[in-house]
Amino acid sequence: MKRLFLSIGCLFTLAACSTPASTADETVRIRWSRDPENLDPLVLPNPNAYEAINLLHCSLLTVDYTQKKFVPWLAQAMPRVQQQDSLLLVTYQLRPEATWDNGQPVLAQDVAFTLKVMNCPGLPNEAARAQYGFIEAIRLDSLDQRRFTLVLRGRAQELVQSSGDYPILPEYKLDPQGQLRPVALAALRADTARTNPRRSPAVLAFAERYEAAHLNQHPENLPGCGPYTLKEWQPSRYLLLQRKKTWWADRVKNPAPQLVANPTAISYEIIPDDATALLALRRGDIGVYPMVPARDFIQLRQDKAAHNLRFYTADSYDMITAGFNTRRSVLRDAATRQALSYLFDIPGLIQASQQGMAYPSVSLVNPQATAIYNDSLPLLKPDSRQAASLLSNAGWRRDKQGWGRQVGNGPAQRLELTFSYRTGDAAYEAIVLQFRTAAAQLGIPVRPQPLEASLFTKQLRAGETDMFLQLLSGNPFAYNFAPILHSQSLGWGNFTGFGTAASDQLIEAIATEADASRQARMLRKFQRLLRQESPMVVLFFLQYRLAAASNLTNLHATGIRPGYEAAAIRTRPVSPLQP
Amino acid sequence: MKSRARFSTLRRWLALLWLAGLLVAAGLAPVLPLPYAPDAPDLHAIAVTPLTGQHWLGTDPLGRDVLAQLLFGARTAVLVSLPAAALATLLGTILGSAAGFWSNDNIRIPAVYGLAALGVVAFSFVFQLSSGTSILLLGIIAAGLSLGAARLHRAGYRQVVALPVDRAVLGLGALVASVPLLILALTLAALLQPSPAGLLAVLVATYWPGPARLVRAEVLRIRALPYIEAGRSLGLPDGRLLYRHILPNCWHTISATFPISVATLIGLETTLSFLGVGLPPETASWGRLLASARLAPTAWWLILSPALAILLTTLALRQLSNTVSRNPQ
Repeated sequence: MKRLFLSIGCLFTLAACSTPASTADETVRIRWSRDPENLDPLVLPNPNAYEAINLLHCSLLTVDYTQKKFVPWLAQAMPRVQQQDSLLLVTYQLRPEATWDNGQPVLAQDVAFTLKVMNCPGLPNEAARAQYGFIEAIRLDSLDQRRFTLVLRGRAQELVQSSGDYPILPEYKLDPQGQLRPVALAALRADTARTNPRRSPAVLAFAERYEAAHLNQHPENLPGCGPYTLKEWQPSRYLLLQRKKTWWADRVKNPAPQLVANPTAISYEIIPDDATALLALRRGDIGVYPMVPARDFIQLRQDKAAHNLRFYTADSYDMITAGFNTRRSVLRDAATRQALSYLFDIPGLIQASQQGMAYPSVSLVNPQATAIYNDSLPLLKPDSRQAASLLSNAGWRRDKQGWGRQVGNGPAQRLELTFSYRTGDAAYEAIVLQFRTAAAQLGIPVRPQPLEASLFTKQLRAGETDMFLQLLSGNPFAYNFAPILHSQSLGWGNFTGFGTAASDQLIEAIATEADASRQARMLRKFQRLLRQESPMVVLFFLQYRLAAASNLTNLHATGIRPGYEAAAIRTRPVSPLQP
Repeated sequence: MKSRARFSTLRRWLALLWLAGLLVAAGLAPVLPLPYAPDAPDLHAIAVTPLTGQHWLGTDPLGRDVLAQLLFGARTAVLVSLPAAALATLLGTILGSAAGFWSNDNIRIPAVYGLAALGVVAFSFVFQLSSGTSILLLGIIAAGLSLGAARLHRAGYRQVVALPVDRAVLGLGALVASVPLLILALTLAALLQPSPAGLLAVLVATYWPGPARLVRAEVLRIRALPYIEAGRSLGLPDGRLLYRHILPNCWHTISATFPISVATLIGLETTLSFLGVGLPPETASWGRLLASARLAPTAWWLILSPALAILLTTLALRQLSNTVSRNPQ
């Protein structure tokens, strides 16, 4: 017995003293600052939801982060494009290897089904309708089930890329009886909630079925043809994606980078607090920390103890904007909004909140896009005199209590504002405090209103804010401002309430213009219009700052959201600890 | 022995000096010639160390002056914690003395009044609810009141019932105290819009059971003393007995625990502010200043200054409490 105990003791001692063997766990852990909230592919309320959906589903085209261009994904090649009057005919051929999880092939019929879902009345598809409203029809090839042609309104090349940039949904899962097949896409597109829809029983039944699937919280009810499946989602804690054992792209010989998914699992760890996330990165609890706060990033980069980390930066298309709710009576006129724009100290904020790792812009266009950037407009600088002068022009008079005015026979107005922002980001707090201080010096009371993320979104949608801070994400491929500034996007994406007939027309013209020089002229005009109307102020474009464990390679760090390519990441085995 | 007494006196004076300084700082903060307001960021001095330019105690990661935040934080601590402690003590004293003095069977009211009061309270509560639930509840209340009225009719309308004041106060206190103070305060603060008035209400609503229990015990003790019995035999009314002859004798206990209450409530206010609830973001608070250290973990001055302020204030208040309990006069 003594020997037995001695042997067990020795075993334990040896186990304790031995070098830990490297584990084969290839789970990539990535920090998210907030929950995706909703994983319905039609809704996608934030970039995290968008990132997750791109791993669960495939679209026809995707972005090659290294080349910064669209490449075929479900499509076998880039589509063939033909012009026909004011229309573009875009013909796609689907890959023969592409299949759903049940082995059925991904067919043109699935693409048609997806477009119908994106336009089906009774579904939360307002965003999709606005973004892909240029797809007029789909023509299926009677001889080839994998071939189809999309009819696009407009002639801009960006439309071709956008025509393939949405997740393709499985018809067999949502509409196994094919009830939507007889309903034409054009009929669904004409049918809006406002015009007493001519809904067929099939459409109504489908909408009910879709709602009953509760895809917002149960995306597993809609298995996509992407490389990953949802294994677990604990809201506000983590989201775990598991690599499919057999993904259709594994059968492709010599696969292109977009057809490769390396990590066996990707765990998105939801850590709202930056300090906690930094600690988790240092401890190795997370491997990728995107958008590290500028101060931490600089300190971490200089820290010799952080030798096990690698750092990446890239100029991004993300911008922080301050929006004005133009539906509020005090913010209805452009002069008041222009006046308030002069209270932001943008150069100071770039230095203070981003440590200089950001750059200003006159409008929503990235300054690096020199061909379309309107450099004739001056950058905004703080100028309280100009602000006071503009307020006077807008009819405001300063008295002991602040600023007031009388508009017609309506009630007297006082210039008092609330400034809402998502809580938890020090940069937002710095911006609001700077604005509040500048406004207070001018006699304008401003009440900061930090709100939890979902409550903030709810208030934005309900139009209950005066001013708000928002992060907008752009890309170098398309210039479609409809989701954020078109009057048809009021209530779900256009939170400023801005939108006139002229601005709507210009937004639509920009999105559909084929000629690059004409489009550039229109874009410059649009930037001037935005400066005149000032529904929002672009404070600065961000630089992406990514920190990752040094054993993670092939991140494809880029300025396009989310700033890395999760599926491409490779894990280098950790070498055993040296004694 | 002499040196110990001298040290005790020194401690007492130091505590009084600190508290007096705190009160002066709180009172004069808005008129002091500070170079920066507590909520105005200096974008050119982000998280700078003490003695940099005009920032004598440095700045936080948003560029706010630490000295200004400390002084205005003292003002917030005084303006929130002092009234909160006073109100919680007042509420606790009223409820605790009523519970201790009248116990469960010394207040008797005609049953018909009790029934009417119950009806008014129940109906007013139900009218706050949504219509679907309220119809059902209204029915239940009406049925209960009818049953009560029928019973009264049989027993005669002059029947009196005893009000269980003691049981009600103890029960309510136990209910509030059963939830940890911080959890309860956090829950209430999350429900209310951040404002000093809202925070005051939260602190009072969560802190009153302590003083109530203390005063109740004291009243129970004094009520049994011979001079109260003498007062009763002379025919003095209850209110006078309680107000003129019992409560003055509880004053010593209340005044000795008051500084402890203030210290506890400063701690609670600071914790809530540290967690980002209770006060609006533009209001300076020691807790908020302490929380800003999370954004710049290497900025030691963001921890040192507010931590020292909280520590010294708490120690001074405890010293004051000791002094009062030892020297009632």
